[in-house]
Amino acid sequence: MRPQAIVRPLDRRAFLKVSVSAAGALLVTIPLPPRSLSAATRAAEVASSWCVYLTLHPDNTAVLMSPVMEMGQFMRTTGPMILADEMDLDWSLVTVTRDEPVRMIRNAKGEVDYQFGQASAGGSQTVRNNWDYMRQAGATVRRMLIEEAAARWEVAADTLIARDSFVIDPAGDRRISYGELAGKAARRQVRPEQIKLKQRADYRIMGKDAGVADIRDIVMGKPLFGIDEDYPNALQAVIERAPALHAEIASYNKDAALAVHGVRQIIELPRKVEDHWPGGDAQVLAAGIAVLADSLWAAMQGRKALQAQWKNAATDDSTLQIQEFHRQVAGNGETKKLVNEGDVDAAFATADLVLDHSYEKPLFAHACMEPFNCIADIRGDGATIITGHQVPHWVAREVELISGIDALKVKVICKRMGGGFGRRGELDYVREAVTLSHRTKRPVKVTWTREDEIQRDFFDAAAVMRVRAALKDKRIIAWHHRQAQTRGQPEASSYFPAKVVSNYRVDQFASTSNIPCGPWRAPTMLQWAFATESMLDELAHAAGEDPLDFRLQWLLPYKEYPIENWATKSIHSGRMAACYEAAARLADWRRPRTKGTGLGIAGHFTFGTYAACVLEVSVSDDNELKLLRAWGAIDCGFAINPNHIRSQMEGGFVDGLNAALFNDVRVSEGRVVNDNFSSLRWIRLREAPLSIEVAILDSGYPPTGVGEPPLAPAGAALANAIFAACGKRVRRMPIADSFKI
Amino acid sequence: MPIEFTLNRQPVTAADDKADMPLLWFVREDLRLKGTKFGCGIGQCGACTVLANGNAVRSCVMRLADAKGMSITTIEGLASDERRLHPVQEAWIEIDVPQCGYCQSGQILSAVALLARTPNPTDADIDAAMTNICRCGTYLRIRKAVKAAALLNRTSKL
Repeated sequence: MRPQAIVRPLDRRAFLKVSVSAAGALLVTIPLPPRSLSAATRAAEVASSWCVYLTLHPDNTAVLMSPVMEMGQFMRTTGPMILADEMDLDWSLVTVTRDEPVRMIRNAKGEVDYQFGQASAGGSQTVRNNWDYMRQAGATVRRMLIEEAAARWEVAADTLIARDSFVIDPAGDRRISYGELAGKAARRQVRPEQIKLKQRADYRIMGKDAGVADIRDIVMGKPLFGIDEDYPNALQAVIERAPALHAEIASYNKDAALAVHGVRQIIELPRKVEDHWPGGDAQVLAAGIAVLADSLWAAMQGRKALQAQWKNAATDDSTLQIQEFHRQVAGNGETKKLVNEGDVDAAFATADLVLDHSYEKPLFAHACMEPFNCIADIRGDGATIITGHQVPHWVAREVELISGIDALKVKVICKRMGGGFGRRGELDYVREAVTLSHRTKRPVKVTWTREDEIQRDFFDAAAVMRVRAALKDKRIIAWHHRQAQTRGQPEASSYFPAKVVSNYRVDQFASTSNIPCGPWRAPTMLQWAFATESMLDELAHAAGEDPLDFRLQWLLPYKEYPIENWATKSIHSGRMAACYEAAARLADWRRPRTKGTGLGIAGHFTFGTYAACVLEVSVSDDNELKLLRAWGAIDCGFAINPNHIRSQMEGGFVDGLNAALFNDVRVSEGRVVNDNFSSLRWIRLREAPLSIEVAILDSGYPPTGVGEPPLAPAGAALANAIFAACGKRVRRMPIADSFKI
Repeated sequence: MPIEFTLNRQPVTAADDKADMPLLWFVREDLRLKGTKFGCGIGQCGACTVLANGNAVRSCVMRLADAKGMSITTIEGLASDERRLHPVQEAWIEIDVPQCGYCQSGQILSAVALLARTPNPTDADIDAAMTNICRCGTYLRIRKAVKAAALLNRTSKL
């Protein structure tokens, strides 16, 4: 089961480059292979640009740069761990830089792209995208340092070892620090065949618990986030946006706003509609009236004074839309077939038992803890953007589109993000700041409020999923998933029951809503797992089988199936089964619980990683629901930092529980009804389980992401636990509507 | 009359025309102390939590006029100096609580207020006092860190 690691060697000579900083530190830089062939064709142009990954100081401390933006997914810790381990650095001597401008190039098609590495954060991709790359870089630097020491001592390089930021000569009982070697090592050239990646058994940093790279700064409240940034001479802007979808400005009191002390300018911003993921035209910018002032407080007062009126709003109502979804899936209207394998109708005809249930989910909000903000300084000869964004090269591209300034002259400083969850891949807040700076010819900082953020969200789509499943001899012989949703479609052939149920059909109704949707954590995963894993549970009980045993049996034979998916190329039923088993073992699954208490199990395959969870809940006679404890198991391949994998398992599962219990945005007359935490309930400490115990399974595979995979199983685990506790089957989220909690 | 109060052990004066400005914005924008975070503006999420005479308050809904004469502590003033962090901050590091980190200033100050009142909190005490939202869902580690801080407090007093 342990696959061979595939290693792509550096395709051209690699060598360290050293320069001396003002402080006397040695700046060691290494060129890394271009990300694409198209970039390779321009290698000559970029050869003089070096990707700075580390600085080795004479005192042997090392400063590394994270390859990827940080939003709580721990890449500022994980990325440097990969590099440092391959380099054999002493982790206690390592610090991580921040606020580096993102390095970009233009590819052969003329598109803006990252010069080195893959700096975007999303889809739990970053570990996978940078795993080979960072290890190659580290191994290259290690080899150069070893060769320099070998030359100095006049011994063969292969007789030396690297350990904790020193090169050691075991035979001569001597050692020399990296800091001392770095200068001369710079001039060395290393042949690609000499660069050997470490074996897992030799890792000294990876595979062990490490803490958050910036933890001291976080607990001291240092200004790490975009919202904390001040910029010289910047106007502070807040924007009164049309509260209802597609509405236009009818009137507002400009004079009253300008009369507020400190308010300088009022600028109207047009509504913008364009094709938007997951498909179809959507309002990506609301019509707005920007109030620009000397201070944020003045801008906020000016906004209140506007007394804006709006017209021509769309009238979407999310509750009515969900009712329509129910009618659609119950009927026989025209659908789009996403998957149709085997002979589904024939299999249903031979079934012993057919279950047919519909599962509902509302719109989910992102509610990133840090409201959006962006500083834009658009000048004649270039631009500076300071913001938190998951896809920084899109930011540069956007500046070019709006202002005409060459994207490569745009300095994009990506700050630590107070949550991203896919929402910080949208460009609206960047577009607003860039437009206002371009118009005023001054630096502008745009700050959103919480209400702005929820009203103008790109939601996770609401959906109703009708699942019909056929049992014969206690085995599932056919599965038909039919859904209607606000927007988008499920990745129906990329997660179970795909592959393991041979007669398998998924179809869906076309979307007609104006409500904008976008990537929310792992899009469609939680809703899919809610429907599929709830139905599995219902089938197990109908067949008189234990829900765990039923799942383990269902996934047989345990094997890897190829799939076509943007994030991963295969799905393995055995790895999923191992997660169910491990989570159940931790939970002591077979121990009977007292009356009113029950265990629910669910799992899901997300972006190449497998996760399963068991949740214990109690439901009292008067319908009071309590989440007691949880146990989880994850197979994300090699576990680079077990501490942070556990942390993501805890946090992702809690957010999945929040989504299942509370996250429920409602749109009426085209506008969000519940746009702050007073009306949009959010999980607090007292509602979360007391403990979540986690097993990390080492399947021997290369590492895959852990940011999103823990999320999806939570909704179904909760519904299944509630059934086990009290016999009541919940098929509708938000689950808090059905209980006292 | 100017509004006078103490912030992080230093006297602070604000012009009286700022009486209705929330303490949050005065601290962040006028004093440029950015550790106190804006989260919801309606006193719900607790990202803006500060200590007012030792009590945890939501500074986004506290008028500056109401801070008059009070002793306010923000996250920047919690540790006496950067080498000697407060036991709650130390516990937050030990348990490795944060993910994105945005809410943690407020969480830490809520914990400080709780432990000052209740040095050995039960789970029920923690449930009742720790009402701040953490969007990343770090609640389990927050609970552990509150208990670790209580232990640190006890050991340091021995």
